[in-house]
Amino acid sequence: MMKRLSVLFPLIALVMAAPAGAQQPPIKIGAILPLTGSGASYGVWMKGGAEMAAEEINAAGGIGGRKLEVIYEDHAADASKAVNGMRRLVEVEKIPFTLTSYSAPTLAIQPIGAQNKVVMMNGGGQSDNLANKEYLYNNIPVVSNEVGVIADWLSKEKKFKAAVVIVANDEAGRNAAKTFREKFTADGGRVLAEEQVALDGNDFRAQLAKLKAAGGDLLFISSYGRNVAVIADQARELGITLPMAATSWVLIPEVFKSKGAEGMLVTRLPFNPDSPFARKFKEKYKTDAGFFAVQYYSGTKIFARAAEEAMKKGGGKLDGEGVKNAIESLKAFDTISGKLVFQPNHAAVMDIEVGVLKGGKVEVEKTLKANP
Amino acid sequence: MDLVLQLLATGLVVGSLYALCSLGWGLIYGTTLHFHVAHGAVFALAAYYAYVGQKLLHLPLPVAVAAAVLAAAATGLLIDLLVYQQLEKRGAFRTSIFISSLGLLIVLENVLAIVFTPDPMRMDIGALGTAVIIGPVFLTYLHILTVALAVAGYAVLAAFLKWSRWGQAIRAVSSSPEMARTVGINLGKVHLLTYAIGSAISAPAGILVAMDVGAEPFRGTRFVLLASVGVIMGGIGSIPGAMLGGLFLGLLENLGIWKLPSEWQSAISFGVFLVFILVRPRGFFGRTIHSAEI
Repeated sequence: MMKRLSVLFPLIALVMAAPAGAQQPPIKIGAILPLTGSGASYGVWMKGGAEMAAEEINAAGGIGGRKLEVIYEDHAADASKAVNGMRRLVEVEKIPFTLTSYSAPTLAIQPIGAQNKVVMMNGGGQSDNLANKEYLYNNIPVVSNEVGVIADWLSKEKKFKAAVVIVANDEAGRNAAKTFREKFTADGGRVLAEEQVALDGNDFRAQLAKLKAAGGDLLFISSYGRNVAVIADQARELGITLPMAATSWVLIPEVFKSKGAEGMLVTRLPFNPDSPFARKFKEKYKTDAGFFAVQYYSGTKIFARAAEEAMKKGGGKLDGEGVKNAIESLKAFDTISGKLVFQPNHAAVMDIEVGVLKGGKVEVEKTLKANP
Repeated sequence: MDLVLQLLATGLVVGSLYALCSLGWGLIYGTTLHFHVAHGAVFALAAYYAYVGQKLLHLPLPVAVAAAVLAAAATGLLIDLLVYQQLEKRGAFRTSIFISSLGLLIVLENVLAIVFTPDPMRMDIGALGTAVIIGPVFLTYLHILTVALAVAGYAVLAAFLKWSRWGQAIRAVSSSPEMARTVGINLGKVHLLTYAIGSAISAPAGILVAMDVGAEPFRGTRFVLLASVGVIMGGIGSIPGAMLGGLFLGLLENLGIWKLPSEWQSAISFGVFLVFILVRPRGFFGRTIHSAEI
């Protein structure tokens, strides 16, 4: 019986690959995103970017003649919700590929993806632990690159000596804080105090009061999502006059609107608010695009390119293993933000800009190269 | 020293919010013996009533807040009338009331999340959000208002219970429902009144938090949990106890992190509660608790 079946398989594959005008089933991929919760603003960008890419791909005839369909799951920054979403995508939708986001949720789904041979493309989470994971690719640099750059810049060029740090109590927040402490201390600075806060919290006054009492000349915010705006406002309310610094995680509408965040020193990953993509995004969604919109647009396009390659090599057959092999063999992908090359650690390297947040915009001071 | 003063002030503000919750929840529990966790939903709803009043109906802030307090009182009353009293008529035990209350809390919270999204809905509070600097302590006008309202809420409630006819009826039911019924007090009516007043006392806490950081659907659960802890610490049936219990929890939560890392904040509160309840199960001012009441 098995023998017979094994003869049948290539036949089935051949039939499936035939472009004979017949309606072929769409290629379904997943997208596990923060659609609600403290990071819902990222979700708007991520979903919009993926949607725009899928529309463009389908308008151009799909992938190997098949339409692309993106199925969205909400993780609301919660790893267990991400796992449920991933299980559904793998078991019910039988996806070969999913976009994923955030550090803790992505780390939680990675074993499921690896086990079921589903490629995961993370364009948002930046914990260092996301590198070197089977079936997981990050089209974003891991945070040690970015935090390393800003820690150097803050200590060597801005001459800050003593930092206090407020840390979101999760994988991403703790990982960024750890890297900041290591780099800032290695550059001769000191970290006077560190206080952890809940990512979905909204009253940080007690922690900020402790940091205020510790002194220092800089407040580093190792957090993300809308709570950064609350932290910045409550810090000013408590009379903390220290300059603040943070990574590109904080570049979201809530923070742009926050009075407390004005003048914050930040990193930014390459994003041009005047690009055709950003204009088209704004026209379609009536809201300004951000870096993460580009990321998930690119992530979807990378999949399309890899899937095409996989189908060519696999005689029209498409599965996660094929997509993975295609990514490994192609390595470099053309994206709207330039050539993206996956490093041996499965993460991308990007130039990192440093600048000041003013009136809802980043005034870039300089662009720095990160070490892979 | 500056840090201690700041933590003390912040603790007092947070404690005032807990105290308002404890007062309302404690009044209801002390009188009806319903473990009314849906009080958390009333707390959340009050915030959304105020939000809807200000942002969607464009009422001036004080009008929106006053209307929200009345609407919250009506909500509490309706929960008792339509759910608990119906269950009691069918001879439900206290556990059934508790489970139905828990179900109601979950349903109402999720309805709020569906209608308003789980994201915080911010209100405009104008000059109330301005910082006030008192020596080394930084607060906003809203925080000072919070403390003032807690004190006022306590005073009004205590006076009402002591001197008004209906207040005396509530106290009578609280100390002995059977005796109250014998002397001709209508238990159903007193329960309804208790729910209305208890909800109205706690509603400002929900609204004040919403004015500070935005209305959120799932915040009530934490507050009702702390309110019950405050009431048990203060002593069941005691109004000064509920006030003190709430204030104590807020201060503990904030002063507790003076020397300890802040991720221990919740652990400190509940750890102290656990020890306290073992050492003094009656709470600060409570009457003796019978095992069936906990």
